Amino acid sequence: MGDSILEGIKVVELATYIAGPASGVVLADFGAEVIKIEPPNRPDPFRGGHLRGSDAPKSEYPYGYIMDNRNKKGIALDIKEPIGRAAFDKLVAGADVFITNMPIPTRERLNIGYDAIRALNERIVYASISAYGETGPEAGRPGFDSTALWARTGLMDLVKPGPDSPPARSLPGMGDHPTAMSLFGAIMTGLFRRERTGEGSHVSTSLMANGVWWNGLLTQAMLCGGEVVCRPPRENAGNPMHNLYQTRDGRWIHIIFNTNLHRWPEFATLIGRPELGDDARFETQPARIENSALLIPILEQAFAERDLDEWVRLLDENRFTFGDIRKIDDIMTDPQMFEGRVLREIDEPAAGADYIVDSPIWVEDTKKQSPTMPPELGQHTEEVLRAIGYDDTGLAELRDVGAIP
Amino acid sequence: MSEGILDGIRVLDVASFIAAPAAGTVMADFGAEVIKVEPVGTGDPLRYSLRGPGYGQSPAHHEWFVDNRNKKGIALDLKSEAGRDVLYRLCETADVFITNMPQGPRERLRIRYEDIGPLNDRLIYASVSAYGEMGPEAARTGFDSTALWARSGMMDLIKPSPDSPPSRSLPGMGDHPTAVSLFGGIMLALYRRMASGKGGHVSTSLMANGAWGNALSIQAVLSGGEVANRPARENAASAVNNFYKSKDGRWFHLIMITGQARFPELAAALGRPEIVEDARFATPDARTENTHALIGELDVAFGRLTASEIREALNRGGFTFGETHPISDVVHDEQYRASGAFRRNKDPRGGAEYVVDTPIFVDGEDKAEPKMAPALGQHTDDILKDAGYDEAEIANLRDQDAIG
Repeated sequence: MGDSILEGIKVVELATYIAGPASGVVLADFGAEVIKIEPPNRPDPFRGGHLRGSDAPKSEYPYGYIMDNRNKKGIALDIKEPIGRAAFDKLVAGADVFITNMPIPTRERLNIGYDAIRALNERIVYASISAYGETGPEAGRPGFDSTALWARTGLMDLVKPGPDSPPARSLPGMGDHPTAMSLFGAIMTGLFRRERTGEGSHVSTSLMANGVWWNGLLTQAMLCGGEVVCRPPRENAGNPMHNLYQTRDGRWIHIIFNTNLHRWPEFATLIGRPELGDDARFETQPARIENSALLIPILEQAFAERDLDEWVRLLDENRFTFGDIRKIDDIMTDPQMFEGRVLREIDEPAAGADYIVDSPIWVEDTKKQSPTMPPELGQHTEEVLRAIGYDDTGLAELRDVGAIP
Repeated sequence: MSEGILDGIRVLDVASFIAAPAAGTVMADFGAEVIKVEPVGTGDPLRYSLRGPGYGQSPAHHEWFVDNRNKKGIALDLKSEAGRDVLYRLCETADVFITNMPQGPRERLRIRYEDIGPLNDRLIYASVSAYGEMGPEAARTGFDSTALWARSGMMDLIKPSPDSPPSRSLPGMGDHPTAVSLFGGIMLALYRRMASGKGGHVSTSLMANGAWGNALSIQAVLSGGEVANRPARENAASAVNNFYKSKDGRWFHLIMITGQARFPELAAALGRPEIVEDARFATPDARTENTHALIGELDVAFGRLTASEIREALNRGGFTFGETHPISDVVHDEQYRASGAFRRNKDPRGGAEYVVDTPIFVDGEDKAEPKMAPALGQHTDDILKDAGYDEAEIANLRDQDAIG
């Protein structure tokens, strides 16, 4: 047995864009062989994402495709051609996991639903992502993370600077990546179960279910007959000690003073307002909340007296919990992003970057696979097909009908 | 009762708040026995702390139910030697140990991996930190609002306009997906253990999950690209990937990412086919050229229709769109129930007919029936008896306040 946990696990991925493919990346990180299938004439549209993007940033490097398809093998195969389908069936018959995020009607049209795949391989873990769930009136409806995860679940309506503000869009892939982790967890659950029972299974997640999971606390408050309101703008925040303040250099800091409440006098001194420490109006957290309208302007002035960097240093030195609202460019010079293993080195000149954003889980005594470039369309077609028994003649037959390039 | 996938797996949840305990909830859903270990007297602060302004209010204990249902509870004073001995003894027969204590308390309470691992070499030690298990900020404390939301660039980028103040994340919004990452790590380690017989240390961090969520933009910057705050909706780069408000005040998100070929159909569906008669909007190129004016036209078109009229028109035409559903919609939304995102709850102590389900489904596997989360120390005696303590030993521990 090798060092990699998933060595020997073969994954067939028929998925596009982000949420499905990203779960394949996590499997590949831990040593699975992931074979991505694309139709010869209709490659994954995400391949061009870095050039198009109205919403996603443009770049000369396919950064998104690298993120979500690194360390995979690629095969271009037309499964609508009968002999292409036969090759697909053979691949599936030898696989441990099948990943798809095709909408349900497409799965039916391509005959790649669970029953069809299971008929080829009883031990397979069939892993699917849908926008709105595998069952119910909207099961077949297509959607993106911006719609099914962000807009549908109340997140978009609630995450804004104030109730009257227009909504803010989610960022590209922001809901897809965590959804991919749910699918990864589901796949591992399926593989674990198979070790115990010998049986395959259909595991799934949906963008919508992940959105409601993120928003689970407030949603459950509603389900329990409670009330949830959009929070007031920061000037009128209900709790001045859980609020945003602007620093001298125009940056923002998020103060979260809700534990170790006895440290209030210390906090007051730190922000240069020692007199607040024994001011009866602000002595206790309930009093500070009660007198929020008085305290917020005082804190606004206090935080406007120093630059963000100074506040970070002071608050850290004194062990207060806070958030400094970083700009994305800050990440490139953030030592903790590197040393905390969020970013991993990639030694591929074509990647256009020295680091990739790593999958967010680690197992201490095992190494993740070194990141490699994603496959070109059909890069491993021959290799993958030969490995399942195709010879020159078989490959030529596939090529003749256009089932492979 | 059918046997769950994780039947026979015993989990110690030595954690507080959300990100780590919720991983235990996922495990309990699939049949694991999850024992929540809480400090004597105070318990997990989640029991009482998420009730101020800005949090959801309900007559039930909704946050406790969501993140600690289906667990057993034991109260232990881990600061006392006797209490710690009990924990160590429980570790001997446990399969998974979950914690999100910062490194300082882990060290003080002697529950680091170096302390726990040697007790049982089959044990999987699963930890969540704010900023990672290594690096200069490894010991720093943080919440999802700071380490995941503010640190990853998401908070700075998700705003209605570049000039807008930032928006805070919602309670637990980053903790829950982080919990799913931890669950994935735990299952990976359990899978490995089937072959190797060995446990190990798996981890995730709030910051890493933030970066994973924002990975595309971060990777763009790592590749030398530029990521800018998106313009306000009036100045959006595309009129057909933008927000519009209905007559009755609901925001719709129109998404035509594959091009504008169907724009004439869209204009007709919205009851304003004449838009494309205007030379400025007659061709896809012209429409792109005159985006700003086109946004104005669509503002008028959407503003004349109610939310239900818009919904019907866009659905009929097969256009992809989103709506900013207020959370009050969610609870009446049939698709949540039908797709399993909400699960039926029969425990009256939960205070609701449905519970927000964990977002992982295995066909043909019934998840554990939801049961209200434990009261502080509710199962202390049972768990101790099960671990081999007799009545006298339990009484002795209680006398020392090592258990509660």
